[in-house]
This record gives sequence, C-alpha cells and structure tokens, in this order.
Amino acid sequence: MRERLVIALIVALLCIIPLLVPTFTLTLIIEALIFGLFAMSLDLMVGYTRLHSFGHAAAYGLGAYSTALILLHFNLPLPIGIVIGVAISIIIAVPIAWICTKSTGVSFAMLTLAFAQLGYAMIFRFKDFTGGSDGIGGIPRPAGPFGLDFFQSKSGYFYLVVFCLVGSYLLCRAIVTSPFGAVLAGIRENETKTRALGYNTRAYKMSVVIMAYGFGSLAGALYTPFAGFVAPELFFWLVSGRVLIMVIIGGAGTLIGPILGGIFFMLLEQQLSEVTQLWPLIFGSTFIAFVMLAPDGIWGLLTKHFRSKRPVPGDGEDGGASRAAS
Amino acid sequence: MNFAGFIVAQSLNAFSQAAILFFIACGLTLIFGIMRIINFAHGGLFMVGAYVGYTTVLLTGSFWLSLIVAPIAVGVLGGVFERVFLSRLYARHDGGAYLMVTFGLAILLAEGVHLIWGPQPRSVAIPDMLRGVVFILNQPFPIYRLFLIGIGGAAAILLWQFLERTRAGLLIRAVSQNAEMVHALGTDVAMVRTSVFTLGCAIAALGGVLSTPLVTAFLGMGSNVIIDAFVIVIIGGMGSFLGSIVGSLLIAFVQVFGAYYFQDMALAIIYLLMLTVLIVRPGGLLGSEQ
Amino acid sequence: MTDSIKSETTRRTILKTGVASAAMLASPAILRVATAATPIKIGIPTVITGGYAVLGSQVMRTCKLVQKMRGNKGVLGRPIEFLFKDTQGNPADCVRKAQELVEKDDCRLITGVVVSSEARAIMPKLPEWKAFFISHGCGDGALTTKEFFVPNFFRANTSAPMGARALALYLKDSPEKNFIALGSDYAWGRSSVAAFEEQITAIGKNLTDKIYTPVGNKDYSTYITKIMQSGAKDCYIALQGDEARGFFSQAVQYELPKRVQLMTEIVAQDNIRSLGKDSIGLLGSARYVFTYDIPQNKEFAEAFLAEYKEIPDWTDGEMYQALMVMFAGIEKADSIDVDKLIPAMENLEVTSVKGPVLMRKCDHQGENQGFVVKVAASSKYPEPVAEIVKTYSREQITPDCLSTSYKGR
Repeated sequence: MRERLVIALIVALLCIIPLLVPTFTLTLIIEALIFGLFAMSLDLMVGYTRLHSFGHAAAYGLGAYSTALILLHFNLPLPIGIVIGVAISIIIAVPIAWICTKSTGVSFAMLTLAFAQLGYAMIFRFKDFTGGSDGIGGIPRPAGPFGLDFFQSKSGYFYLVVFCLVGSYLLCRAIVTSPFGAVLAGIRENETKTRALGYNTRAYKMSVVIMAYGFGSLAGALYTPFAGFVAPELFFWLVSGRVLIMVIIGGAGTLIGPILGGIFFMLLEQQLSEVTQLWPLIFGSTFIAFVMLAPDGIWGLLTKHFRSKRPVPGDGEDGGASRAAS
Repeated sequence: MNFAGFIVAQSLNAFSQAAILFFIACGLTLIFGIMRIINFAHGGLFMVGAYVGYTTVLLTGSFWLSLIVAPIAVGVLGGVFERVFLSRLYARHDGGAYLMVTFGLAILLAEGVHLIWGPQPRSVAIPDMLRGVVFILNQPFPIYRLFLIGIGGAAAILLWQFLERTRAGLLIRAVSQNAEMVHALGTDVAMVRTSVFTLGCAIAALGGVLSTPLVTAFLGMGSNVIIDAFVIVIIGGMGSFLGSIVGSLLIAFVQVFGAYYFQDMALAIIYLLMLTVLIVRPGGLLGSEQ
Repeated sequence: MTDSIKSETTRRTILKTGVASAAMLASPAILRVATAATPIKIGIPTVITGGYAVLGSQVMRTCKLVQKMRGNKGVLGRPIEFLFKDTQGNPADCVRKAQELVEKDDCRLITGVVVSSEARAIMPKLPEWKAFFISHGCGDGALTTKEFFVPNFFRANTSAPMGARALALYLKDSPEKNFIALGSDYAWGRSSVAAFEEQITAIGKNLTDKIYTPVGNKDYSTYITKIMQSGAKDCYIALQGDEARGFFSQAVQYELPKRVQLMTEIVAQDNIRSLGKDSIGLLGSARYVFTYDIPQNKEFAEAFLAEYKEIPDWTDGEMYQALMVMFAGIEKADSIDVDKLIPAMENLEVTSVKGPVLMRKCDHQGENQGFVVKVAASSKYPEPVAEIVKTYSREQITPDCLSTSYKGR
C-alpha cells in the first residue's frame, strides 16, 4: 500500500519534469530513463537469478537496430515499430537463451559476451543492410495509430518513455513476486537444491533470459527513434560492462536500485565529465568499492533497514511481515 | 602469383600475431587455472606494459631494458592488486564479484594511462639491430616480426618447461587442480595465487612492450586485445597452458587468412568459433570440463 | 521504529533526493542563460580522443589561431568563440554533442567534424535544429549527392572523388596498367576507393583488387602482403589518422614503397613527419599544399609557423579555408541566422589558402582546384615536404552536380 503511494508520487514528479527543466536537460533525462530501463532488465538476470551476463548489450542493440530498420523501411507508426522491434528481439533471444543456459557461471558469462560480439560482427558483415560502421541515420518518428502523435515532440517522447519504464517496472515486479519469481530466487540461492525439488531450472533460466532480453530490447527500441541514429557501438561489450556496473552499484535484486543507479549515473557522468577529466577514475573506483564493500548497492544499503518492504517472492499484501529476516 | 610464397608470407604474419596474442592469453589462462577468475584487466595490464616500455625507452634509450623493466613494474602492480583486492574475495565464492572487480580495474587502468600519458599514441622505434627485412621465398619479411616469432616461441617453451619440470610449476598445477588439498599439505596457497597473478601480468606486459614498435602504444589497445584473449582462452581451454598456444595460433591464422579471403566474415568467424566450442566442448579444445 | 515512520522517512528521502537532483541538473543550464551572448559561437564537435585525434587536434589549433588572428575584429564586429566538444570519432556521440551545442549552448554554427560518418549522422537533423554545418574535411562523396543533400550543409573542402579524380588525371599518361586500392572500411574510405575505381577504369586502366581494412585496424601485415602478392605496381591508399600512420610505418618495415608506388588520396604532413626520409617518393592528391605560392597562403603559413613552429597539415589549411568561407558568408548575410546564411553562401566565391573556391548553389560543394604532389626532401625545412607536380582547375576536378561522377569528361 505504501509502496504504491511512493510509486505514484514518483510518477507524479516525473510527469511535471518537462515543465521544469530546459530542453537539453530533458534530452539527458530521457536518455537516462532509457538507460535505467536497460539496467532494470539486466537485474532480472543478475540480481534475481544470479546469471551474470557480460553481453546484455546484445538485447539493447537488437532492439535498437530492429526498430531502426522497421521504422526506416516500412511506413509504420512509432509504437507499432517499437512493438515489432521488441518482438523480433525476443524471437532472436530464444535460441540465444537456449544456448547460453546450457552452461553456468563463467561459461555462461562468456557465452553471453560471445553473442553480443557476434551481433557486433554481424552489423559489419551485413553492412549494406545495416550501414556497417557508419550506422543508420535519419530514423523517423511516424505518427499513429489512431492519430497519436504526442511522442513526436520531446516532452511527448518523455511521457512515452516514462510510461514504458513504469509499466515495465510493474510487470517485472509482478514477475519477481510471483511463484515464478520464487523459483528464480531458489535458483539464485542454490540451483542444485531447486532442481532436486523437481523444478526444470533450465527452463526457468531460459525464460528469465528471454524476459531480460525483452525489456532490454524495449530500452533499445525506445532509444532509436529518440536519437534518430544507431551505430554498431550499441553492441559493444563496453556497453554491457557499463550496464552491469549500474546494476551492481544501484543494488542488484531490487529492480528500483538499478533503475535509479542507471539514471543517476548517466546524469552524473554527463555533468561531471564536462567538469573533470577524472570522471572515469571516479567511476571505476566507485564500482570496485561497491563490489568489495557494499555488494548490495546503493538501494540495498538504503533499504537495509526496511528490508521487509523489498519485493520478494510470496510477499503478496502483508508486506512480507510473515517472512523471517535473512 | 607465387602460391608457396604467399602461404609462407601470410603464415609468418600469422605467427607474429600469434606471438603477441600468446603473451596475453597464457597469462589469462594461468590466472584462470589458479583462481578460476577471468581477469578483465588483462588487456589493461598489456597496455600499461606498453606505455611503461615506451617511457623506459624514452628515458634510457634502450629497448632491451624496457623488456625487463616493464614486466617487472606491471607484475608488481598486478601482485599488489591481487593482494589488496582479489584475495579478499576468495571467501565469497562468488565468480561474479571477481569479474566485476577486474572489470573495474580495467577501467581504472585505461583512465590512468590516459591521464598519465595523454591521448596521443606513443611510438617506439624498432631497435637498429632488428630493422630491415629478410627474403623468404622472394618475399620480404620484417626482421622484427621474426624476432617476435622467436621470442614468442622461446617464451612458450620456457614456460612449458617451467610448468612441467620445476617444483614451482608443479605447485601451480597442483593448486589449479585442488587448492584445498595443497593447502592441507602445508603450502601457502595464497602466495601461489599472488605469484601466478604477478607472473601472468608480467607476461602480458612483455607482450605490450613487444607490440609497441609495430602498432605503437595507444589508448584502447587493452580493450582491443582482451576480447581476442578471451576467445583464445575459451577455445584453447580455460586453464590449459597448451590450449593458450593452440588458441593463439588458431585465432591468428583465422584472422590473417580470414581477412585475406573473407573480408566481411573475418570478425564473425572468430565469435562463431568461440560459440561452437562453448557449445560442443565447453571446456575448450584442450581444457578439462570445469 | 514503527512501520509508518519508516516509510515516511523513505518517502521524504525520495522527495528530497528528487528535488535536489532536479536542482543540480538544471543549474548549469541556468548559469548559461545568465551569461550574455554577444560573441559568435562556433561549435566544433571533433575528435579529441580516438584514432583520428591527430586530425581533431589540428582542427582545434587552427581555430585558436584564427581567433588570435582575427582578434577583436572578429566577425561582424563580434568576437569569435569556439566551443570544442569530443566526439571520439563516434557518429552517435557526434549527434549528441551537436545536439548539446544547439540546445544547451544555443550555438547553431557547426564545423570541424572530422569523420564522414559523423557528418552523415548529423546532416538529417540540421533542419530540425535550424543549424548550419560547413565541412572542412569530410570527404565522403555521398554527402553532396541527391541521397543525402540537406540545404543546411555546405562543403568547403576537396572531396574524395575530387582527390581521386586529380590522381587519375595525372595517371592517364602513366605506362602502368594495373592498380590496387586499399581503404578504411567506412563512408569516406569506401567513397574514395569507389571514386578511384571509377576514374581509373574510365581512363582504361585496371583495378585488380579493392581491399577494405576494418576501422581502427592496427596490424596491416596481412594487407601489405596482399598488396605485394597482387603484382600491381601502384597502390591507391585511402587512410587517415592513426590508420595511415600505422599502415605507412608498417609498409616501410616490409620495404613496400621500394616495390610498389604508393599513392594516397590525402597526403598528410603528419605521416611525412613520422616516416621521415622514408616518405620521400610518396605520391598523392593534396587537399591543401603548404608550399602553394599565393599571398593568402603565405599569410596563413607564416602565422601558423610562427605560432606553432610546425608545418601546417592539410586539416589546418582546409579548416582555415572553411572558416574563411563561413565568415565571408556571415558577412555577406550580415547575420548568423540560418535562413539568411544559406542563400548568402550559395554561389559565394572566396579566395583563400587554396586559391579561389566557389560554393556552388546546386549541391553546396565548394569547387576547389586539385593538386597532385610528390614528397621530396627539403633544404628549407627539417622534414620532407610535398611539392606540387600538377595543378588541375576547379572545373576539371569537381564532379557533376549532386553526384560523384564526371559524365562525359
């Protein structure tokens, strides 16, 4: 109940932002929100299932490029373009998830990396189609359906992104607090035991990877019409590394943590890198510090006292009061 | 077109590239064998080695000296990092934490180099003794690249003998197979780990110094090379020293001949290979199932 | 603590954080609005770090020199202010930085973009931004073709097809029949090689192979061997920045220049300097020639040498020319408003360090002379310099309107 109030408050705050900030800052915020969504999608894998992925850029890149090509070549309205882009990415994610979940641990991480790099290589291989290293530009934001065109303006696009972010968050939250999420937690804590209990852990892992790809590709799909431009760098492993850092610093396994982590660090980086050359050093050291000293991340630290408020499997309506502190 | 000459010339190119790759890959695989971690910072250490080598040459004028100074300096840096950060993570049994700490280190190294040496690439001249070409089947081939092949081969053999024949090598192999047992038998396993990490970093730095006269020391040389190194270690077998040799040769040949014949596919072939090996033989070609 | 107080604190924390962040994020923008805007701002989203950083550093130093040379006079009596941003040669970052310039810094004059793919990325956005972009060094022929043409874009520099054309005209009388080409695999490199292929086959020669090297490639051994194996006696090169440095220095290690005549679409002093005497004999097209003996160039070259103690490179010369052309346009329009500037720029002719340049109306391409040069030892300077061996007129060199071809010529 209180959670819902807090969320509603945050959404209300978000809604009045376009009226408060100058245009360029709005651009930054939109990018940051998209990145927050991207980080949250990875949290499903890293935080809730302990599947460390070093290739999540693949989800982003797939979403971005699919949407770019759809919008460029077919005269479809923007929301439809995004939906199709995400759908294509999810379809491609299925064999990727199947192959990756064959392994665990480091092998899993390397497989995800391999796929992301393969995506990167494919962009160059099919350069006639994808523009190769030049990327694809001039991506439009066609209006429709039903005459919808609010997203063609910047503040309109902001609302679209907020809508997608909040909607995705609610969906993800529902997932992780459902029985499905309980199994994920089981896999995270002790996969062998969970399998011994009779669960097909491979199927669960596959599903969560596909979901992560789905939300990740939504982030990419939202990025494309906003920037109007896509480039192969979107697949590069440095992107995967950055979003992984966001999840850890924000607080893995909390959904909110990575969102906030993604948003604030994106904004901090923009502001600080103009001011000081030391930003990447600060960034890297902060990351190491968190891994060593505060693996729960910022949100984890903040909510440590309110642990019973965290969305956990089987929470339902009683606020987890029935769950013993761990 | 002289077909034999072509094969030989491109093969020599491949061997020279393999030599550099080997220096990075063997350190990476040794570290993995001992500590079960993929050291993301390995590319960064390679780069620091290159820049330290450049500065050594700048200050002393001796390329040969840089071959000694850089590995020592970077080795020490690596050893300290292992002691201060990585050793505290062993208790956690969390593979993800290592990946991330070394990733963070990679970022720090890249930025450190940027801040200290600036954005311009730094070139080191090929030492006079190694300039010029030799003619092999009528094709000119730079002497420096032959030197690289030689030193790469020598290093491979030396390290192999070290691991197989010496007591220290035996310890290293034992720890990578069963650290607890070795510890129970009274060996300071933590010291072995630090030593191996130091050695791996030093070898990578040596590779950096050697590659500089060819491609200059530049920002981003670490991230360029780390992915290739991962691919090699995975294909060759994580933890397998011989695997790192085989992997380096394989990747170098694929890159050279792939670039020649299938320009568009060259990049993709490597990752497809990596995927195939991971699926079909997850331990790598010469590795054991992990 | 009771539940209600706990969540009250959470809510307060969130609200406080939210307001604080909004204030923090908005502040730089507020500060910017507060300062007066009498200088003319020119946005330079260029490569400060990355493989082409040497070109970006040249852009910046020439801008600073121009600022000094103009002093208080500036343009239209207003001082000039350059805003330098680092794009790292990345098209996506260039779009972001350009957007920052337009939206945050209220700067609508853009130049100094190094990489052609960056130009391609920002061109479609220029009308939306109401911005003006003049290229000093983007060579991709496609930028002034029907497919990409945007009225807010002008190109003051020699393009890749023009450079290839000059070389091809020069080679018409050469006895060599077989050529091979190597270019960087992105917009400009591909455009350059394609243009050379078109030109060289039109004069009856053969292009036996086209090699494209990945952007950022470091080890050229495979490609050098391939060139040697091909049997061609002449090789056309379309590489820049660190790629050019790497290729040429490794080619020298293989003694390639002794066996194959290397011809480059852009002769860069930076390459000459790093190769030293090994660069002697290099043939190529030059976008700007330091030794070109006209008063405007003498003035620039002397000021440059005095300030930087270094021979100006092609980017320095082309950047200077682009700025001179833009200033002339601004002065003719008596405004920096894009709607007035575009018609003022069309058919504008300016004589600068490369001779007279005509910004033609049909596709906004600057008609430049073409120079074929050969690198030779110099008694006057500590490093070799490029000497002009042939000059071609604007009409001979500039392609047909909105095209990269030379139909019927």
